[in-house]
Amino acid sequence: MGPVILRPPLAELQQKANWLALLLLAIGLHVFEAALPSLGPWFKPGLANLVTLLALLWLGPRAAVLLSIGRVVIGSFFIGTLFTPTFVISMAGGLAAAAVMIAAWRFIPGISLIGVSLLGAIAHMVAQFVTVETLFIQQSVLYFALPPLLLLSTTTGWLNGALAGYIAARLEFPDE
Amino acid sequence: MTTFILPPISVVPPAAATIGRMAVSVNPRIPRQGMSTLLKGSVTDRILLLVSLLGITAAWFTVQALVASGPAVAEIYHGKRLLATYPLPKAGETPKTFQIDGELGPSEILLDEDGVRITSSPCSAQRCVYSGAHRHAGDMIACVPNRILITIRGSAKRRFDAIVE
Repeated sequence: MGPVILRPPLAELQQKANWLALLLLAIGLHVFEAALPSLGPWFKPGLANLVTLLALLWLGPRAAVLLSIGRVVIGSFFIGTLFTPTFVISMAGGLAAAAVMIAAWRFIPGISLIGVSLLGAIAHMVAQFVTVETLFIQQSVLYFALPPLLLLSTTTGWLNGALAGYIAARLEFPDE
Repeated sequence: MTTFILPPISVVPPAAATIGRMAVSVNPRIPRQGMSTLLKGSVTDRILLLVSLLGITAAWFTVQALVASGPAVAEIYHGKRLLATYPLPKAGETPKTFQIDGELGPSEILLDEDGVRITSSPCSAQRCVYSGAHRHAGDMIACVPNRILITIRGSAKRRFDAIVE
């Protein structure tokens, strides 16, 4: 008789499988968005962040944060931007969006996924600018470019929120 | 030899086990709605949208007021340093080309009547090059890898002083 290994409960395995499925989806979308024709500098539809939001609903805050880190790291392997400025900016944006979305979902009463996604999109954009300003281009003039981009962010945030709502209502949540 | 101890057969609580479809618990915070209803958002969402739109509009006007004064000039920065300020050439004036050294190497900049553009850059993405010419107050070209920022201040005059038919 060798060592005895207790198999983890099925529910836990199921959660891990779900997390991995979401991670793969997020990586795919991350690479897809990088390949899209640029809609302007530093602007993307934010579909990869939508997966972070789904992870938050389905699997909880910890899973959402880990997913956004994993997505940016592994996605960068495919795009070839690992540890470049693009990588740092994506990471900052992804983490800021995750943090804001977790807080919004937890603390703002009456908010739906649209509001959460909206705040996440705005946080993502602002975090990108703060990162660029502190690390790469140390000029506060840079923030002058923010308003039009934020306007685009609110639009994509709203649309992604509605999409997330549509998908999340059709996910199979574990019974508690 | 490794021994696995399997969990008991009845892992799924009987209440949740249904035949055919998996049991789906309804989260009261995520109602199942059609797309058109979903797109409207909740009252809180709309308040958040309103607040952010007001903030963005206010910021936009503030920025325009800050950058639109004075004659049109292009300011070129590398990291913290302001390298140069050049007036934008008007129609008919000779274009100017020059190189500036960024983090990775020299970026070539062209100033002509279309505005200012980066014509070559040592960065890999080349987004700064592809973004083309800019001439409106508040426009900027940023090359993050090379740490070069070009902004335009002041109201750029129209390209033509008058159009005679």
